[in-house]
Amino acid sequence: MDKIIELKNITKSFDGEVVLDNISLDIYDNEFITLLGPSGCGKTTTLRLIGGFETPDSGDVLFMGQRINDVPPHKRNVNTVFQRYALFPHLNVFENVAFPLRERKVPRDEIETRVEEMLAMVALKGFEHRAVTSLSGGQQQRVAIARALVGKPRVLLLDEPLAALDLKLRKDMQQELKNIQKATGITFVFVTHDQEEALSMSDTIVVMSEGRIQQIGSSQDVYNEPQNAFVADFIGESNIVDGVMLADRSVSFSGHVFDCVDGGFGKNEPVDVVVRPEDVDIVPEGQGQLSGVVTSVTFMGVHYEVIVDIGGFKWMIQTTDFVGVDAHIGLVIEPDAIHIMKKSEYSGLYGDYASFSNEFDELSDAESEGSE
Amino acid sequence: MKKASKIFTALMFLFLFAPLVILLVFSFNEARSLSVFSGFSLKWYRELFRDTETLKAVRNTLVLAVCAAGVSTVMGTAAAVGIHRMRSKYLRSALDMVTNIPMINPDIITGISMMLMFVFASRLLGLANSLSFITLLIAHITFCLPYVILQVLPKLRQMDASLPEAAMDLGCTPWGAFWKVELPEIMPAIVTGLIMAFTLSLDDFVISYFTTGTGFQTLPIRIYNMTKKTVTPDMYALATIIFFVILALLLLSNLTDSEDSQKLRAARRAKRAASGRPPMDPRRRRILYACGGSLAVIAVVAAVVFAVTETDNKPQVLNVYNWGEYISDGSEGSMDVVKEFAAWYEEEYGRPVQVNYETFASNEDMYAKLSKNAISYDVIIPSDYMIARMIDEDMLLPLDFDNIPNYQYVDEDFRGLYYDPEDMYSVPYAYGIVGVIYNANVVDEADTGGWDLMWNEKYAGQVLQFNNSRDAFGTAMYRAGIDVNTTDRSQWDLALESLLEQRRSGVVRSYVMDEVYNMMESGEGAIAAYYAGDYFTMLDAQAEGVDLRFYYPERTNFYIDAMCIPSCCQNKELAEIFINYMLSKEPAIANAEYTYYASPNRLVYEDPDYIEEMGEEAMAILYPDWGDFAEKYNTYAYRNLDNDLLDYINSLWETLKIN
Amino acid sequence: MTKKKTRSSLVTGLAGGPYEVWAVLFILVPLAFVAYYAFTDNDFRFTTANIVRFFTDTSPAAGGEGTMVRTYLVISWRSIKLAVISTAVCLLLGYPLAYIISRSSPRAQKTMMTLIMIPMWMNFLIRTYAWMTILQDTGILNNLLAKLGLGRIHIIGTETAVIIGMVYDYLPYMILPIYSIMAKMDFKLIEAARDLGCAPAGVLRRVILPLSMPGVVNGITMVLIPSISTFYISQKLGDGMFFLLGDAIEGQYVANNLHFAAAIAFILMVALLAAMAAMRYFTDRHTYGGQ
Repeated sequence: MDKIIELKNITKSFDGEVVLDNISLDIYDNEFITLLGPSGCGKTTTLRLIGGFETPDSGDVLFMGQRINDVPPHKRNVNTVFQRYALFPHLNVFENVAFPLRERKVPRDEIETRVEEMLAMVALKGFEHRAVTSLSGGQQQRVAIARALVGKPRVLLLDEPLAALDLKLRKDMQQELKNIQKATGITFVFVTHDQEEALSMSDTIVVMSEGRIQQIGSSQDVYNEPQNAFVADFIGESNIVDGVMLADRSVSFSGHVFDCVDGGFGKNEPVDVVVRPEDVDIVPEGQGQLSGVVTSVTFMGVHYEVIVDIGGFKWMIQTTDFVGVDAHIGLVIEPDAIHIMKKSEYSGLYGDYASFSNEFDELSDAESEGSE
Repeated sequence: MKKASKIFTALMFLFLFAPLVILLVFSFNEARSLSVFSGFSLKWYRELFRDTETLKAVRNTLVLAVCAAGVSTVMGTAAAVGIHRMRSKYLRSALDMVTNIPMINPDIITGISMMLMFVFASRLLGLANSLSFITLLIAHITFCLPYVILQVLPKLRQMDASLPEAAMDLGCTPWGAFWKVELPEIMPAIVTGLIMAFTLSLDDFVISYFTTGTGFQTLPIRIYNMTKKTVTPDMYALATIIFFVILALLLLSNLTDSEDSQKLRAARRAKRAASGRPPMDPRRRRILYACGGSLAVIAVVAAVVFAVTETDNKPQVLNVYNWGEYISDGSEGSMDVVKEFAAWYEEEYGRPVQVNYETFASNEDMYAKLSKNAISYDVIIPSDYMIARMIDEDMLLPLDFDNIPNYQYVDEDFRGLYYDPEDMYSVPYAYGIVGVIYNANVVDEADTGGWDLMWNEKYAGQVLQFNNSRDAFGTAMYRAGIDVNTTDRSQWDLALESLLEQRRSGVVRSYVMDEVYNMMESGEGAIAAYYAGDYFTMLDAQAEGVDLRFYYPERTNFYIDAMCIPSCCQNKELAEIFINYMLSKEPAIANAEYTYYASPNRLVYEDPDYIEEMGEEAMAILYPDWGDFAEKYNTYAYRNLDNDLLDYINSLWETLKIN
Repeated sequence: MTKKKTRSSLVTGLAGGPYEVWAVLFILVPLAFVAYYAFTDNDFRFTTANIVRFFTDTSPAAGGEGTMVRTYLVISWRSIKLAVISTAVCLLLGYPLAYIISRSSPRAQKTMMTLIMIPMWMNFLIRTYAWMTILQDTGILNNLLAKLGLGRIHIIGTETAVIIGMVYDYLPYMILPIYSIMAKMDFKLIEAARDLGCAPAGVLRRVILPLSMPGVVNGITMVLIPSISTFYISQKLGDGMFFLLGDAIEGQYVANNLHFAAAIAFILMVALLAAMAAMRYFTDRHTYGGQ
């Protein structure tokens, strides 16, 4: 696969506030790459740098090997699907989709066929003469995609395009976008703060935080092998505890020595230990490696979400077995369920479920969405 | 509740439209009166279309409004875009604040501030006249701009910021994105701004009053300057026509609306499901867009062309500055002196001449503008005391009487008077004497004869006093036998006492200038001091049950208005030819008959036709036998007073007014 | 500063540039001239005499023997009084009307707003002149009253006549901003308030009024300012019986006392700016949905 876009050591700040801090990223042809991170992490700015709406303070943007820092948006073979679609309210559906072709002075009949083709692809045939403001959110979304694709760009940038849709529609559109990407073979650069969306759609995920790239990898990589506490916490649920690497494949945490599969750390090096909630087994008290007290149980449908106090640290455990509140239980963790990470600036910030509540989580999600 | 609100709405619209109905009705009135309807007539419409000066003022007003609206719309839109894109918060809020200034500053301050600057700037640049069409246009653009910006800016802020980005993303240049996406989005706001700017410019009087210059009088200024006589009913006719034109335009726009209404309804139905505004039919939008755009372009082009042609001094232009309603203007079958002069001149000299005839409301008004070098005229017609002052200040040029042979017809009585003792600077145009006009059906003959009538408490609430300081003080001083030109301030204080007494005792009903006509004609006031000539104007229009009479008190004001050439004159010979023409028989008689003022010209007052036309009674009043005119004149006429004293009198006048 | 940034600020500059120059040249500089003239004498030497004169000039008071009043303060007081009353009347009449209009059908809204605009297209001098003929003692109003056997009333030349003139001329300036806010108001809010147990009066006081406050503030500004500085209305409808600040400025201008005219203008300007700032400060803290 060829690199189609390269970002090299890019730094960008607004009003003295650093938004992108020396990031480098390669985007390959024909891939579905997702920039994932909480609001304010710099993912949208990265997208706008590629689109040409911002220029880096330092560093380079390369498109197929060519430096394009100063190439204005209209001269880049890159199109964007905007967050609120940015459909032109004074033009109807057809004219919106035809806009880039008219800009390029494409012959009239070719415009006709290409627009029809696009509208067919996004299942909007028959809507040509509707006013865009009379369409539903999902339909507007499709128009925006058709409009961005009709000019056959090499890269399509999508800035949280699904954020405004309801859950059901969102799931459908995720699938549809994936299909369109496969069908057209165009590189998609997708921005989202929704980790589930990222995991289900992407070939590559770029996890960003505070203007820096935390990890680049496939969905499996970032889930199973998070590089630091931030990634571990942001993607899925994680219990993150302090540990000490006694030797390769032996780690001590929560007052117990565990076998694990990681190695390559210094002797007695302090590390962050990640254990996913679904990887902890509950056993009767005394039979486990650890023991604790259940402080809360929430029924989630497929499983229970159990918060267990282990030596003052609150763990989250997902289990299909019911345990009661205040029950004393034992816990078992298999070696391959233990993931060891180097200490980072995020150590100690995440992974404790002391103040956890579902409600709270949703609230903060909504907040980050709103402020984006 | 529903009913109450309907009644309220109806009453409000009655209130809003009552004056317009009055205008409409009285524009068809046969008589000059504006309070009694005496019969249907289209006379004032005919007068209006004959009144070239008014038509020119209408044209000027429209040209100005179109130019100001066009330029301010284009510049304001650009400014709004600029402000919107500005990154620096401080600069943006500073500019926001500055933009608000003309809106929260009273007109009068905006007007004065600009006038001060223009005058100062032109003095620096050494320009002959600082005020012109350009300054007027600048002033109008300045006060229209904020309205445009404040219409467009919110629309830009409402607009999804990613719209222009999307356009660029899809292949538009930044320019293209602006034209194809942003502009259509903000077009409704631009059109609203344009209409607002046009309306404001059309209606403005105060700012124009301070910033207009030679050769460009707008309608509001012309109306304001009609104060020496009275606002003529042809203005009512004009207002009525404007009303119907607007009505027609509105109906037309409503009609085109209803054609689209079906489509709109469909769109609205569709929109109900989604959010956002109703989409506009692209075709209609394009039309609107094209109209707005082309209007703005035309306006800007017109403004430029007009500015160039207006300032481009044509070889033969004569600028005349006179009192409002002070020349025979062709109304009611009279001679249109200005027009006739142009025709006569072209025949005589084989060259065309363009006469700009403009008016002022008072000597002081004229002086204020001339002394600041704000304007430039070739012929002016001020009053005696102002002539003295202007000679004193080197503001007049000596006349070459070889070019004014008709000067020989000016009576000897009018030579060597105090204001121009050597007869170098002025040629008398008209003169008059102030007398007392009274309604004989109210006033007892026995009470008449002197100034005391105006202080007689028997007629409380029926006396009309002058609404300008010099004339009002004059009545009190003539009554008390004080020299009206005294420099002794205590004497002026005495006169103030007298005026205060007149006011406090409730004798004075109103302080009036041109309102005197209406009020005396209708019988609203019973006693007024005013100029002899004007008495006849009132007599012609007096209502039923009113019987106006006139007499001269023993001591009273004599005044002479004379033609002069100010030092800013551009074409002295032409000006002298004009003055000479004004002294020749036909125009002189026409003017005398039109204004009803006495003429110092033998060709006039010895003309049998004129005498017959005026009638015996009028001749006796207009040309009374005072014995030695010059002596009386030199005793009683107003003289120029020094600035400090004028300032003092002005403050005494304010004292009278605040009580 | 990168190349891109300079280019975009160049575009911004091209768009806003002419206006920035214009604003400085024709808005700020002229105001500086007002200040300059206000603080100089006829020979352009610095003086505060003009300003001092405004506050100290005295004249004999109306009734009292020998008591003196400060001339320009009396004039200012009367101007402020008439302007405030006119503004209040405009608000009392304009607010309900704006509300009624905003609740009508779209077509009726359009028609009524157009009707309100129409008088503004007639020249304001002629409009005022027409009021003169209506209000005078032998005018149409009194003739009507007499015919109805109600007896004549004397209006012209009173403060009432001036207020009528001001209200008439400036009422549209009150209605327009209030209407434009009300037309945009979401009337579900009213339903919500009713649903939450608010009586109609409470809805008005607690929902509609606070929400329409920005329009009210704009309306007050747009009426108060011209009415405090008018001179034509007071001359025509006041029958010359009294003097307002506008008359004082115009009078000094005609008397060629430019420096004192500028001083009055300067004081008026400063006072108005202070009043506006105070009003905005106050209302910003007590309303929502402001800018």
